[in-house]
Amino acid sequence: MTMLSALIGTLLFAVIAPILGCLLAGLDRVVSARMQGRVGPPLLQPYYDVRKLLEKEDASVNSVEKTYIICALAFAAVSGGIFFSGGNLLLCVFMITLSSMFFIVAAYSTRSPYAEIGAHRETLQVMSYEPMVLLFAIAFFMATGSFNTASVFALELPAVVSIWLVFLGLLYVLTIKLRKSPFDLSMSHHAHQEIVRGITTEMSGPTLALVEITHWMENVLFLGWVGLFFVWGNPISIVLALVVMVFVYLLEIFIDNNFARVKWQLMLKSAWLVALVCGTLNFVLLVF
Amino acid sequence: MAMLGFLIVFPLIVAAVLAVVRNDAVRDVIVVASAGVIGVASIALVAMNIGAPGVFFAYSSGVVDMVCMAIGVLIAAVIIAFAVKYKNILAGALAVVQVVLSLVFELGFAHGVHVEFGLYFDSLSLLMAFIIGVIGSGICVYALGYMKDFQHHEPEGAKDRRPLFFALMFIFLAAMFAIVFCNNMVWMFTAWEITTVCSFLLIGFTKTEEAINNAFRQIVMNLAGGIAFVVALFYSVVDMGTLSFTVFIAQAVLNPAIALIPVTALAFAGITKAAQMPFQTWLLGAMVAPTPTSALLHSSTMVKAGVFMLVKLAPVFLVSTVPALMVMLVGGITFLWCSFMAISQSNAKRVLAYSTIANLGLITACAGVGTPEAVWAATFLVLFHAIAKSLLFLCVGTAEHHIGSRDIEDMDLLFDRMPRLARYMMLGIMCMFIAPFGMLVAKWATIVSLVEMGNIVLLIILAFGSAATFMFWAKWLGKLSGIAGQPENVETTVHRSEWGSVVLMAVLLVVACVLLPYVSAFIVEPYIAYVYGVGGQAISTDNLWISSICVAAVVIVLFAGLGRGKSRRVNVYMAGITADSDARTFRNSLSQTSEATARNWYMEDIFGEKKLAPVGVGICIVIIVAAFALSFVGINPGML
Amino acid sequence: MAFASKSPWVIHYDASSCNGCDIEVLATLCPGFDGERFGVVNTGNPKHADIFLVTGSVNERNISVIKEIYDQMLEPKVVVACGICACSGGIFHDCYNVIGGVDKAIPVDVYAPGCAVRPEAIIDAIVEGVAVLDEKSKALKEQKKGAR
Repeated sequence: MTMLSALIGTLLFAVIAPILGCLLAGLDRVVSARMQGRVGPPLLQPYYDVRKLLEKEDASVNSVEKTYIICALAFAAVSGGIFFSGGNLLLCVFMITLSSMFFIVAAYSTRSPYAEIGAHRETLQVMSYEPMVLLFAIAFFMATGSFNTASVFALELPAVVSIWLVFLGLLYVLTIKLRKSPFDLSMSHHAHQEIVRGITTEMSGPTLALVEITHWMENVLFLGWVGLFFVWGNPISIVLALVVMVFVYLLEIFIDNNFARVKWQLMLKSAWLVALVCGTLNFVLLVF
Repeated sequence: MAMLGFLIVFPLIVAAVLAVVRNDAVRDVIVVASAGVIGVASIALVAMNIGAPGVFFAYSSGVVDMVCMAIGVLIAAVIIAFAVKYKNILAGALAVVQVVLSLVFELGFAHGVHVEFGLYFDSLSLLMAFIIGVIGSGICVYALGYMKDFQHHEPEGAKDRRPLFFALMFIFLAAMFAIVFCNNMVWMFTAWEITTVCSFLLIGFTKTEEAINNAFRQIVMNLAGGIAFVVALFYSVVDMGTLSFTVFIAQAVLNPAIALIPVTALAFAGITKAAQMPFQTWLLGAMVAPTPTSALLHSSTMVKAGVFMLVKLAPVFLVSTVPALMVMLVGGITFLWCSFMAISQSNAKRVLAYSTIANLGLITACAGVGTPEAVWAATFLVLFHAIAKSLLFLCVGTAEHHIGSRDIEDMDLLFDRMPRLARYMMLGIMCMFIAPFGMLVAKWATIVSLVEMGNIVLLIILAFGSAATFMFWAKWLGKLSGIAGQPENVETTVHRSEWGSVVLMAVLLVVACVLLPYVSAFIVEPYIAYVYGVGGQAISTDNLWISSICVAAVVIVLFAGLGRGKSRRVNVYMAGITADSDARTFRNSLSQTSEATARNWYMEDIFGEKKLAPVGVGICIVIIVAAFALSFVGINPGML
Repeated sequence: MAFASKSPWVIHYDASSCNGCDIEVLATLCPGFDGERFGVVNTGNPKHADIFLVTGSVNERNISVIKEIYDQMLEPKVVVACGICACSGGIFHDCYNVIGGVDKAIPVDVYAPGCAVRPEAIIDAIVEGVAVLDEKSKALKEQKKGAR
């Protein structure tokens, strides 16, 4: 049963998430442009970009990079599928980490000095946000009594009421996960903030298109995590969750446009401190 | 019972033969054949008794008792002789204390206590037997090729001491079988001490100054654990009137107060053997030994004896708070600290050592938690750690002999130079740290069991430790995966025996990961049900199957999917004029050739050994001292 | 319609420009002119770029760099010479070390003269370049089909 729903969920997610993620990315660029006093590109610009990349010549520095990227894409889809089909939240977290690992290995495999710097930083980013993400899954269990995301529909009050500290902590690391400034160390969407193109330096044409699609899916999944805090037994709560998700996304864009990139030390230490404080305090509040 | 006896005695006979054989070809045949026999016998034992609850054999023998005593004296004599030779007072003194204590015990106390069922096995013993019999003997086969290269690198005219080496390896296996099958705690103790002294001799095998020092560090720490074991035996006989391990555990569960000191002491013995902080340095020091020794110590023997003891005691920890807290906290802190310190290491074997200690810490913590779910997780950690770690050690050993270094930075381009080996190494690494492979499934179960208990401290430790784990494995994995044009393939000179063992481990790993739900249902669950009367699988079988499907996908990609891309090859971007893309050289602004290099991050200033180790050691010493103090005072917070 | 024309990503290389044209290239992307309206993004990585904006003239030192960047760009790709120096060598054309315009090193598709070249002219040139890009993209598609 779980397996079947996860499979169906994965297939649906692989179709729907890129569409939503693409619109979100377009929204990001339009809103960012408006915040900078520009008109900005059309909403569908990310879609045009990816279609163009797919049309480009297929070239790479080695024979394995694209395979790794396809794996990253596939496991991101599996992760999303598990999450949105009401599956196990921990498994979802592990799968998206697997996807990140393939992305990192793809960059390493090129042996490009610039891509490698990006890969190092990406690894560091994973290490920075991983404690908070795991604590988020654990806190979710404490709030709902199950790791299955479907269990939120049995709640009388949204999970955020009891684990609001963890929610704040997750918001903090979300900036890293969404690759937003000030924590966009491994690759930046802003021109001239990056040493060449960070982790994606050697990924080009169709491979880069797959990377973009993976990121769209990831973004949808991460916003799903945010929404999870605001859903309970009442069906209307889904609307509330969607509103919160949009709000959080706009907040991230706001942060993105207002902060310069920080050094890795600050990212690591602050993210771990936030995880430690938010996680511990919230657990203590829950248990006692 | 004949089977158990065979598994314990046969390796001893092989060892005796190997100790006198000096011919390479003859040794090859003997080792391969007997490893095969041991492997097949242990698999047969597991297959015939799959899902069996505890099976006991009425067996007691005065002769065996006498032999054990003789071995005890012999061990002490060996240690004291070495202690005198190398003027190590502490080791000598500890050996004297231990032998006096154990003689007093055996002659004065143990005499009147009769253990009817001397041998036994349950599903946990079977799992351990499988690990020892298959992985342990696989490592012995691997050692054949490795030690040829090793002897080759020795200076001209050096004495060929390989007969001793192989004899010790097989004695080790026999002792391990004895530990997992003996119900008589005196016999178990003797085997326990044999592993200690064998690893002492193996660590000091090269006889360099460093090796001797590290060997003595090992023996001192493990003798301390051995003395704790003897103390536990005293209390067991005096207070509880038994020397049967299973009866001891059963009584301790019923009456935790009376068994407080022996359980704490046994737990302490387990902690020393499992190289938990503050004793982690002996396992790090053991790295000076030839790689097969490290593989044996880390994966299937020695440290696994320590965690076997702790997992066995898990039901007691569930009811006895003081030793449980000690084991849980020491394990948890070791996991966290060693995961951190692994980040700062670039020597592959040291990374492996820290990761071993960290994972043993996790197993220890799970045993300390003691719930069925936690024991389920601990058992899986034992199994997957054994397979993956031996695979990694064998790969590193082979790589070391062919690229001339065990530094991770030098493993750049390994994917090109040794394509098959690099893939096996990547498989082993993935199994260690990433879902959906075995270790992560076990970690997942750990999280579930901890969260159900509401164990906040361990949950936080686990969250941060896992993040650190990702860091040090991912950067190694990345280094391995680098691909350039067409460098020379140096893989062709790898010994066939080495390939055989490496492939065996890799196949075991994939099979165990893919068939994980079955392993759970037929091997681990029966043990949990036998001990606790309830199931311990905290993850739904459906989710386990999702994981195993994903494992299959990743393995297929790794071995069949990579290297098939047909896109046009282009140069790496160098921000200048590329001179040679493979060598990463470019023409700089002065028209000279520069090389671009990128080193991994080790973050010495945050995760450096010198900075972290003293703190972790200090905390763990305080915990252990406090636990012993509380035990002797007889306070069991559970009773307050 | 090819999507290449909807998302022209550029890379900018200063050959031996006096920096006048470089400042104008960057100004093109700033709010006043907002090149991103047409999907223009400054990538900084030849492997991601579709349009190669070169400012300044070609000399003995940088000719190989220009060729290298051009080679690293994937098909389809377009070169825009920005400013009179890039078009013909400009006032430096008879300098001892100057070879001439960018077309001495690589094939140029669009010439945008000016000293310095105006952002409007650059946008115009990019739009011209996009048309060329479209053609090349279609040709590449035909070629791919032919290969099958």
